[in-house]
Amino acid sequence: MRKMIAGYLIACTTLVPGAAAAADAYVLGLTGDMTGRDSANSGAAADGIRIYFERLNAKGGINGRKVEVLMRDNQSEPSRAATDAQVFVNNDDLQLIISASLSSTYAPTIAEAKRKGVPILFSAGVCPTDVFPPKADPLLFCTSGYAAEKDVEFAVDYMRKMTSGQFKLGLVSMAIPISRGGMEHAAKYSAGKNIQVIGHESAPPPTVNYAPYATKLKDAGADWVLSWAPWVTQVKTFEALRQQGWSGRFISYGHNVAEEELKRIKDPGFLVFTTNAMFSDNQPIHGEIQAAAAGKTKYPYTYLNEGWIAATVIEAALKKVAWPPSRAKVAEAMNALTVDLSGLRGGAIVWSGQNHYRQDLYYRVYGWDGATNRVKTVADWVNKPVN
Amino acid sequence: MLIYRVSRVLNLAHGELMMLAAYILISLTTLLGSHPVGALAGAVALSLLVGLVLYVVLMRRMTGELVIAAVLVTIALGILLRGVMVLGWTGRTYHPMQQLGWENKAIALGGGMTASTVALATVGMAVLLYCGLFAFFQFTQWGVRMRAVGENPLLASQRGIALHATYALAWALATLTGGLAGILIALDSGLDTTMAVVGLKAFPAALVGGLGSLRGAVVGSMIVAAAEVLAIHYIDPLVSDVVPFVVLIVMLLIRPWGLFGTEEEIERV
Repeated sequence: MRKMIAGYLIACTTLVPGAAAAADAYVLGLTGDMTGRDSANSGAAADGIRIYFERLNAKGGINGRKVEVLMRDNQSEPSRAATDAQVFVNNDDLQLIISASLSSTYAPTIAEAKRKGVPILFSAGVCPTDVFPPKADPLLFCTSGYAAEKDVEFAVDYMRKMTSGQFKLGLVSMAIPISRGGMEHAAKYSAGKNIQVIGHESAPPPTVNYAPYATKLKDAGADWVLSWAPWVTQVKTFEALRQQGWSGRFISYGHNVAEEELKRIKDPGFLVFTTNAMFSDNQPIHGEIQAAAAGKTKYPYTYLNEGWIAATVIEAALKKVAWPPSRAKVAEAMNALTVDLSGLRGGAIVWSGQNHYRQDLYYRVYGWDGATNRVKTVADWVNKPVN
Repeated sequence: MLIYRVSRVLNLAHGELMMLAAYILISLTTLLGSHPVGALAGAVALSLLVGLVLYVVLMRRMTGELVIAAVLVTIALGILLRGVMVLGWTGRTYHPMQQLGWENKAIALGGGMTASTVALATVGMAVLLYCGLFAFFQFTQWGVRMRAVGENPLLASQRGIALHATYALAWALATLTGGLAGILIALDSGLDTTMAVVGLKAFPAALVGGLGSLRGAVVGSMIVAAAEVLAIHYIDPLVSDVVPFVVLIVMLLIRPWGLFGTEEEIERV
C-alpha cells in the first residue's frame, strides 16, 4: 500500500498541469475519476491511456515528438472537472482534453472547452448526445462503448433470437437517468415481440442488499433478466437471484470488469454483451496490452481496453496533425478519421463531420463455458449501423 | 453505540471503520492466501488494534473538549479513511469470499425461503455478539466500569477507574464489532467504497431503539430493516433509502429518546 501511495504522490508532483509542458511535445489534458465512485471504470481507462502513451513515447512518440498527458483527478465531481477544464484550456500548449469520468462532469468540461475551442474526447463514460449523427458538435468526440438505447435493442433482439415462444422478461436498472431510460426503452422495444415484461426494478445507487429486488423478479416468474446499469447493480441483482434459487438467464452490459467477473461467477446463465473484445480472444493486441500493463497499474490488465482504444484513436489523429500542433488542427484531424482497432472491437472507428461516435456498432455476447472452464464467445459480432 | 454509551461521542466514522476492516481482510487474504482462517482472524484482531490506536493517537486528545468537537473529529476521520482506502485499494469491487477460496451457498430455509451461508452466519454472529456484550456489561469488571464511566465519568474517575483505558477499550470493542460486520457484509456481497452507507444506516437503527441500549439496537434494527424492505416491495424502491430516516423522524417526534432510551440521555445529545 505504501508503494501505491508513493506512486500517487509521485504522479501528483510530476503530472500536475502546473508543470511546464515541453514545447516539442503534443500536450493532452486528462480529467478523470481516479479516486471517486467510478474509479474502477474511469481510473482504469485513464491508466490505459497513460500506459499507452508511456509505451509510445519510449518508442519515439508520434512524428518524432513525445506525447505529454497531464492528469488531474476529478473524482467524478462536476466542480472539480470544471476546475480541471479551466486549468487545461488556459494552458496554451495543450491541444486536446480527454474526459474519463461520469457523465455528470461533462457539462462544465464542455462549457470550458468550447469557450477556448479545445476538442474533447470522452473515453470512459456514456457518450454525450452531441457526438451522435446527424449533427455532431465539431469539438466533441467519443470512443467509449456505451449507447444505452442501441445496447438494449441488441440485447432484446438477442434474447428473442435465443428463446422460442413467449418469455417473461425482468428489467433491472440503477436509479440514475441514463440507466432507467435505457430500461424503459427496452420495455418499449420489447412490445410486439412476444415478450412479456414482468417488471422493472430500479435500485438507488447506494443499495447494498439486492435481495428484495431479486425476490420481486423471481416471484414474477422472469425467464430472462436484462440489466443495463453500473456493474454493481447488474451483478449483485444476478447473485441475489441465484441465492434465491432462480434458474433463468441474465444478460447485462459488459463493462471493463466483466471478464474478471465472468471468471469469478462461473455461471453459464450469466451473459454479458459488449462492444469490446475480451482478452479471452487472445489476439496479439491483447498480449501487447498485458505486457505493457505489467507493474504499471493497480487494475487487472483486462480493465484497460477502453483507455487503450481511446489512446489508439488519439495517436491516429495526432499523426495527421502537422507540426506545430494546435487545437484547431487536432479537431480538424478528428473530424475525418478512420482507426483500425486491431481486433479490440468488431470494426474500425470511423468519424466524419456529422458523426463523432462511430458509423457501425458491433456487439458480442460472452459467457462462461463450464466444460472448458473459461470465458467464451456465445454470439459473434453483430453489426448495428449508427444513423 | 458502545462508544456513545461510554463517552457520549457519536462516532460518525463507523461506516468507514467497518470498511477498513474488510479492506484489511483483502490484503491479508492476498498475503496469507493459503490460510483463510488466519486471514480472517488477523483482520478481526487488526480492527481491534485500529480502535485502540485511534483512541490513543486521536480521540484521547479530545478528552475534556466539547462533545460536538469530538464528533466533528470523527467526521474528519471518516473522510480521511475513505481517501486512504481509495488510494490503497482503488474503487474496484473485491470479493473476499472467493479470494478465501470459500463458496457462499444458498441454504433453503423452508417455505420457499432461502438465505446465503454468510447471511445466516451474520445472524448467528449478531446473536453471539449481543449475548457476549450483554454478559460483558452485566457480569465483568470492565463492563461495569464502562457503564460507570458512561453514567458519571467524574465520579468514576474519583473511584479509581482509569478513564482513558475505559474509553480506549470502548473504541477497540466498537471497531472490532463494526469490523466484524464489515467483514461479513464483504463476504456476502462483495466490497467497494459504498459500504460506508451501511454504517450511516446504523444510526437510525440505534436512535430508534434508544441510544446506549443494547436491546434497543436490536429492536431498532429490525424496525428500520423491515420498513426498508416493505417500502421496496409495496411503495417504490427509490424511497427505500430515505425510509430509515423517515422512521427516525417519526420516532423523534413521538419519543425522542427512542424505544428503550431514557429522557436523560437525549438531553445530553
